[in-house]
Amino acid sequence: MATNCIRCLARPSLPPSFLVNASSSLRIQSLPSTASMGKRYASKLNRPTTNGPRKNEKVKGQKTLRIKKKPPPKTGKPPQPGERKAMRKRIVLSNTNALEVPGMRELDKGLVGEWEMGIRDARRQAEEGHWVLEGALGMVAKEGAKEGEAKNGEGVIGQVVALQGQTVDSLRAVEAFKTTQGWGFFRRPGLLIREESVMLSRKLIQAEQGNLRLVIDGERGTGKSLLLLHAMATAFVRGWIVINIPEAQEVTNAMNDYAPLPNTNPTLFTQPTYTATLLSRINKANPILADMEISLTHSLPIPIQSNISLSRLCELGARDPDVAWPIFQAFWAELMAEGMPPVLLSLDGLSNIMRESMYLAPDTSKVHAHDLALIDHFVNYLSGKRRLENGGAVLAAASRSHAPTSKSMELVLKQLVELQKGEEEITEKDPFEKSYDDRVEWALGVGSEKATKAGPVEVLKLKGLSKKEARGLMEYWAKSGVLRKKVDEKEVAEKWALAGNGVVAEIERGALRMRI
Amino acid sequence: MPPRLNIFGVSRSLAIRPRPSIASHQSRILPVVSQRGFADEKDPNLSKGPNEAGLGHVSEEAADLGRVMGETQPDLGQGTPVQDILKRDEEGRDKAPAVIKEEIDSIKADAAESTSFANLLALGQIENIATGGHGTDPVNVDTVGHKYGLPELPLPKNSNLKYRYDPIVSQVTNLLMKDGKLGVAQRNMSFILNHLRTAPPPVPNPARPLVPGSPAPNHLPLDPIGYLTVAIDSVAPLLRIRSQRGAAGGGAALQIPVPLGLRQRRRQAVQWILDAANKKKSRGSGRNQFALRFADELINVVEGKSSVWEKRQVVHKTGTSARANLSYRPGGRR
Repeated sequence: MATNCIRCLARPSLPPSFLVNASSSLRIQSLPSTASMGKRYASKLNRPTTNGPRKNEKVKGQKTLRIKKKPPPKTGKPPQPGERKAMRKRIVLSNTNALEVPGMRELDKGLVGEWEMGIRDARRQAEEGHWVLEGALGMVAKEGAKEGEAKNGEGVIGQVVALQGQTVDSLRAVEAFKTTQGWGFFRRPGLLIREESVMLSRKLIQAEQGNLRLVIDGERGTGKSLLLLHAMATAFVRGWIVINIPEAQEVTNAMNDYAPLPNTNPTLFTQPTYTATLLSRINKANPILADMEISLTHSLPIPIQSNISLSRLCELGARDPDVAWPIFQAFWAELMAEGMPPVLLSLDGLSNIMRESMYLAPDTSKVHAHDLALIDHFVNYLSGKRRLENGGAVLAAASRSHAPTSKSMELVLKQLVELQKGEEEITEKDPFEKSYDDRVEWALGVGSEKATKAGPVEVLKLKGLSKKEARGLMEYWAKSGVLRKKVDEKEVAEKWALAGNGVVAEIERGALRMRI
Repeated sequence: MPPRLNIFGVSRSLAIRPRPSIASHQSRILPVVSQRGFADEKDPNLSKGPNEAGLGHVSEEAADLGRVMGETQPDLGQGTPVQDILKRDEEGRDKAPAVIKEEIDSIKADAAESTSFANLLALGQIENIATGGHGTDPVNVDTVGHKYGLPELPLPKNSNLKYRYDPIVSQVTNLLMKDGKLGVAQRNMSFILNHLRTAPPPVPNPARPLVPGSPAPNHLPLDPIGYLTVAIDSVAPLLRIRSQRGAAGGGAALQIPVPLGLRQRRRQAVQWILDAANKKKSRGSGRNQFALRFADELINVVEGKSSVWEKRQVVHKTGTSARANLSYRPGGRR
């Protein structure tokens, strides 16, 4: 190995093998011109071969620092695959430490029946001329109508009602409860009855003879998902069949397998695994399916008996993702047959489906969310293109946390709310905005060309709680022993004002979570 | 060797007599001549006999009269309002200026409303209902005319904007904080308290007695701050060991026990609990894992399972054995 010093071209007087190992030697420092040899080499070729003793090898009489790496101590059994996620997603619905609240009403047939009576009374009075029926805002008392009339079931507004055990099981199966909600604080799951929830329940009861298409909107933390849960609970109590998509983003964020559906134009994409899980959830949540037999004949890829129950049909679909979509269609056809109960189709996180999904088409363009077969199915009913034959409702809740923006959806919802309020000036489209989407407008039942006859969807804009409702909620917390404060006018007003005029999540945050 | 003499020691035998806090500036010796006027004084204030002085003003007259008659006397220390004078003086009332007459009339009109307690109570209840509350809400007289009444005085010590949390909560939150991220620490604290609230009640170990006066274990979960306080105060050491270098001779350190204040004791306990929590392994995933481990360690402390108890015991044992060193003063005896 004939190497020269780069600077002075002098040859090293020491063998290279010595140089490599001599970083700690004193002798090398006496040769300043070749000192750089140990570190720097002109090219790769000049690098010394590693024939000599290795760096950490012990040379006789030399002290080297040796640090032994200790392996981390093994304690206990490591978590199984999926166990940690399951722990994160676990939903606790009871706290045995919390006190039981005496005299709590249940959301049962009796209470829903009272609301139904309220509708009848209102109708009777409408005939007598005291009430006017008004679009999405429900019944509005005409001036001159007596206060206190037609108040059936409204005494419960501002109270927390408990959910029945059967309802809780069903709601759990459709994944209506979420981890961010404070179910784990109380002895048993309860729902605050607000003015809007009574209104929505009445609309649902009325929808048994018709169709309800409604979008729930509102600021972050105003209780949109909980209102959706209330609707589902009412539907379960009324004996409806509930099909819920708990998180729209799970459908569109390209985390599931997908396949093009043959003979569709534009091409639709099915999601076999997701559909199979959906079928299994539907089966679990609706025990009445077990008593219903197949009444139609279907051409399915797998042979099925002609007299199996709908529950069994769902089970077959849930077992095999490859046939899940055809079985879902067969199941839906059964639901639309005559004599079946009403259906509630609900979805949380609307803006996720009002845009292009994350799935890619074969030409690497993005698939629009409405081209996913499941979403297409939902949107057909939301837009009013198809009707729920046995009555029922299509509900969608917007989401305000971790939600993508959909310009068209925001605009349409804004316009619809303004129309409901009867404002003279309706917000116009921004002429310079390019990201408006006609399909979204169509899905919400508006738009010039392809607008459906059914008209636009109804919009329920949620705001903060009233002070009465806030007080009822805080009294419930205090009775449960979770809020250790005197609940009086002053305290309620303080919390209500600090929570942005009664935004319910903020009241909870201020009273139960961040300030104990 | 002659005995040490201390000149300051002499004063020790002197009795200390309390001096009146306000010394009288009046001379004890009565002046022979009571007053001397200047030569050019026109109206010298000559001394008069006992009955020569004229009558005092109205209040003084009333006071004298009251003393004689054995009735209540007006307080001479304060000025007498005209209204009080007019109360007694019927003739003066008639001749009083119009402004005062009007004032007297208006007081009479209000009196019926303002004096009756029942009236005030009813008014307060109406106010409560008007503001959207219940009639049964507590009414204090201050509520009348104010939406939420006046604050009770004196203001509580922690009614400052900056002290919105319980002292122990804010202390522990600050100790949990990393990299100055107070928001994260507060979220962790909230998770900890909520976990204590929902976890099953602890089963204390009789060998590890909790701080005296702590509530029954099944009362702890619904009072998470109390739970936290019990856990921390139970393992808080009473003292720390200070090592004085070279004091023991031969280069060895002398261990001297030093008592700790309340915040110092709590700080030490939280540090120990933090150490134990950091050594634990997370069982789940997500961002609340640290808070969960800390909360579990708190429960372990109350149940007597935590290693923090040993640390406390070691400190206390060392302190007991080193108590002979308490008399050590740096720099030797003086």
